[in-house]
Amino acid sequence: MSEINEKKSIGNIAFSIFKYLMLIAGSLVAVIPVVVCVFTAFKTEAEYQSTSPLSLPKSFFYLENFKVAFKQANMARGFLNTAIVLVVVLVLSVLMGSMLAYVLNRFKFVGNGLIRNLFMFAALLPGIAMQVTIYQIMNALGLINHLYGYMICLMGTDIISIYIFLQFFENLPVSLDESAIIDGCTYFGVFFKILLPLLKPAIMTSVVLKGVGVYNEYYASSLYLQSKELKTISTALYTFTGPYGSQYNYICAGVLITIIPILVIFLIFQKQVYGGLAAGAVKG
Amino acid sequence: MKLKRLMALGMAAVMTMSLTACGGSDDKPSDSTAADNAAASNTASSDKDAGSDSDAAGETPSEAGVPTIDKINVGEDYKDLTASIKILTNRTDIVDTVYAGYADQFMELYPNITVEYEAVTDYEEAVTLRLTAGGWGDIMFIPTSVPKNELSTYFMSLGDYNTLDQIYNFVDEKTFEGNVYGIANGGTAGGIAYNKKVWADAGITEMPKTPDEFLEDLQKIKDNTEAVPLYTNFSAGWTMGAWDQYIECAATGDPDFHNNLPHMKDPFTKRDDMTGPYAVYYVLYESVARKLVEEDPASSDWESSKGAINRGEIATMVLGSWAVNQFKEAGDNPDDIGYMPFPITVNGKQYAGSGGNYGYGINKDASDDNKIASMLYVKWLIEESPMFLDEGSIPARKDGEFPAVLEAFDGVELIANSPAPDGEEDLFDDVNNESEVGINNNDYPDCEILEAALYGTRTLDEIMTEWNEKWSAAQESLGVEVNK
Amino acid sequence: MGKEGKTFKEWFGSRKVQRYLVIFTFMFLPLLLLLMFTYIPFGKMIQFSFYNMKYIGKRTFVGWKNYVEVFNRPEIFKSLLVSVYYMLGGFVQLALALFFATMMVFKVKGESVFKAAMFFPYLISGIAIGFIFKFFYARGYVLDSIVAMFGVAPENIPMWLQDTKINNISLAATSVWRYTGQNMILFLGAMMSVDSDLYEAASLDGANKWHQFKYIILPSIKSIVVLNIILSISGSLSAFEPPYVITNGTMGTGTYFVMMNRIAHENQKVGLASAMAIVLLIIIIIFTVLQKLFFAYVFDNGTDDESKAAARKRKKQAKQ
Repeated sequence: MSEINEKKSIGNIAFSIFKYLMLIAGSLVAVIPVVVCVFTAFKTEAEYQSTSPLSLPKSFFYLENFKVAFKQANMARGFLNTAIVLVVVLVLSVLMGSMLAYVLNRFKFVGNGLIRNLFMFAALLPGIAMQVTIYQIMNALGLINHLYGYMICLMGTDIISIYIFLQFFENLPVSLDESAIIDGCTYFGVFFKILLPLLKPAIMTSVVLKGVGVYNEYYASSLYLQSKELKTISTALYTFTGPYGSQYNYICAGVLITIIPILVIFLIFQKQVYGGLAAGAVKG
Repeated sequence: MKLKRLMALGMAAVMTMSLTACGGSDDKPSDSTAADNAAASNTASSDKDAGSDSDAAGETPSEAGVPTIDKINVGEDYKDLTASIKILTNRTDIVDTVYAGYADQFMELYPNITVEYEAVTDYEEAVTLRLTAGGWGDIMFIPTSVPKNELSTYFMSLGDYNTLDQIYNFVDEKTFEGNVYGIANGGTAGGIAYNKKVWADAGITEMPKTPDEFLEDLQKIKDNTEAVPLYTNFSAGWTMGAWDQYIECAATGDPDFHNNLPHMKDPFTKRDDMTGPYAVYYVLYESVARKLVEEDPASSDWESSKGAINRGEIATMVLGSWAVNQFKEAGDNPDDIGYMPFPITVNGKQYAGSGGNYGYGINKDASDDNKIASMLYVKWLIEESPMFLDEGSIPARKDGEFPAVLEAFDGVELIANSPAPDGEEDLFDDVNNESEVGINNNDYPDCEILEAALYGTRTLDEIMTEWNEKWSAAQESLGVEVNK
Repeated sequence: MGKEGKTFKEWFGSRKVQRYLVIFTFMFLPLLLLLMFTYIPFGKMIQFSFYNMKYIGKRTFVGWKNYVEVFNRPEIFKSLLVSVYYMLGGFVQLALALFFATMMVFKVKGESVFKAAMFFPYLISGIAIGFIFKFFYARGYVLDSIVAMFGVAPENIPMWLQDTKINNISLAATSVWRYTGQNMILFLGAMMSVDSDLYEAASLDGANKWHQFKYIILPSIKSIVVLNIILSISGSLSAFEPPYVITNGTMGTGTYFVMMNRIAHENQKVGLASAMAIVLLIIIIIFTVLQKLFFAYVFDNGTDDESKAAARKRKKQAKQ
């Protein structure tokens, strides 16, 4: 944080007051819809129907809604699956994205520009319109109903990381590679030993963006992970769309159960998350 | 939002069987006394199957090993069969409780067969994708996206129409060229659910028989009670599409109306006697325009509306008979819930339409063992399980007992659409989809009626004229013969 | 770029082999996946757009008929007007994000609490947001209760999802809510990358807050702001999730994609829906190119002066 010597003038005090008021207002707006959900999740059915949504629940120890939501949506298994998918997809997409960016940035070859453009253009294509064919391809390759199939599908549509890494490589001096090569490094060595460690900020960026996306992805997982044991945490929530209609005491509990893990992870790695996003922003 | 698909009950697409002919068609399948379950017993039916599966000639030998559904004896045949089958359902809410319970009961009877349910969110869309790709499992509710002439591409024939029609209701909804590919998971009758106490409190002594009487009664409820006269459940979507189910049998008393629709010129025009499709949508439009519905339809709420009608906070909901059980169970006043026919009178008589829910179809690419196991389970479900009682639906078997709800339909004739004429099995769906009027498959046009009434942007006549135009355009582009 | 050492001729040959090896191995998987999950489906979609077809059943080639229909149906293009709400929402979001980021560049106590609170909505899934805001806007629920606390009579509270004057604003607001914090962090990151001495120097120099913003902060985040404007416009044209999960596109909230989805699934017109997707894609490409040209023009003649001014100022400060 920059240290700024604020002059204690009236103007500055007024600015400070304004600043804090605004920040408090902004934070409240951001948090209220979810806080209300927290209240509702602890209310009994009768309480939910008879009290204002803004009122506190009688007891914060009424956990029945959570139990129902947890069981109904088989969330324990969902957490495990999500964790597996998250780790594998993040590691592989970081590797793939950075490797591709390395090649595209460091080597001149026929089709380099074309390939870049293919990736950039892909970002504009409407995914929802292409589901039919994607499903058939997934099926033909036997990727449906396997966690690895779903992971491959998530990586196949991974354009953000590639973009971020490409940007980042622009700012890594080529002299690094050259001196390593003079020292006898192979290209693989250059990439894995020299460049990859330097990519840390870009890796953080893509981990944050991709991680949030993967954690919350529900459409593909509901299509491709069909059996009960394979459900991820967000599909678990998706099953609430129909049957519970608007039994918000259960739904809110379900929503909170899905939010809590990512919130905890976020709070632990807050600094790194901001840092990661910032790295992307500066280069962007 | 997608509850339509989840409930399986929105009076699926087509209503067909004449229920009035329920009586004497009882020929128990166990009549095939010989327990000779293997290929030999069923040469006749397998021939038929082979014929129907003309596009898959290679399948013929394997089909020969599978009997038709009428010839298989649940609890006696194939007791040693070992198989593991998967069945898809839209009921994500009760798959692990009620449905798993059915499967458990069946597995006690057939210990070597494993039945596994899989609930699918967003059923119609997801299952259509799975069908086109194959390898989805053994049994599914056939989605409405499968035209009849494509049924044999995905599902095995369960038997021939003339035989099964004697035993089961609604079979011709999934029949093509004499072969039945799906048997309905029960059926529903179309009427209106209401809270008797509220209606009585409003001073209504006689049930309405015409749209205008109905609207007057709703007005009385508004004036004399605290209840919402008519709850639309707009935001659920499928609840709006549910209005379509009344425009055929209930509004015309004509079992052929459905089959004639694709040939009709301007079917949505107002009729002087206030019958036909217009009269149904008139009820919807006017009750919204006269503010006889909930204040904020956009945030209406299906789940809590069940309790509300039970408690008398809602007076009326226009939904199929399947809903009645749910309303009764949603609170302490089950006896207050009543069911009445749709308020349209055709030549002095009231009618109610009935139709099948989703039908069970069996994967034609499954192994013989799985086909047989699937058939055993389907037959057990529709004949032995307590499902119809639990769901309050019209049973699949013609000799089954009607749900108690329909007792209130005294003096009302319950009819169903006639089977489609040969060669026109898909004609209604084709015109319906092409025109985008979407009767019984697209909720959005019905939503537009409510929106127009709410905002006063268009009159009902304007909407109906537009539908007529779309209908004509579709007829023209498909080259359908139009009767003047 | 290829900087392989030409002076090391003795292993030039093997370098060359290695070079192709690395190009091939590093690109093989990503390209294969791109082909499988993006370009083959895209090619199929183009093909579908020339057919009259359902998901299941026969298809017939109809040439340009689907495209003609897209342009002959006024309601399809009217749905693009709904996107204007999301575009405006996108600008509001940028402005708010910029505003809060600027507030935080200056010293703030409890900074991490504010940051976390505002960033938090970004972590929530679209489906959960659907649930949260259905509940939030429902008649008599959260927002109504909040407004009532300020003494507004119930009959004066609008119906957030039903009143066509505001329901699209309600929906666009959910996406502003979701992304403002994330944008703020992005902008803040860019701002913090400026040497902190600059702020100090500017402050000593007597530059007021506005000048600090204009000459130091703004130039530092120019490129990220431009990128976000471009993204928010193409994003608003393809807006889908808020109306889909909250109102299902009823009451005049149907965006182009919601309508396309309906045509594909409820009416089973897969060919027409594919044509719609391609028409929208072309519109998005046109918009993107126009914007790029626009910003290129603006920054050649406008902001560059500003950054020059900033640079001048920087030099001046350095001297002091």
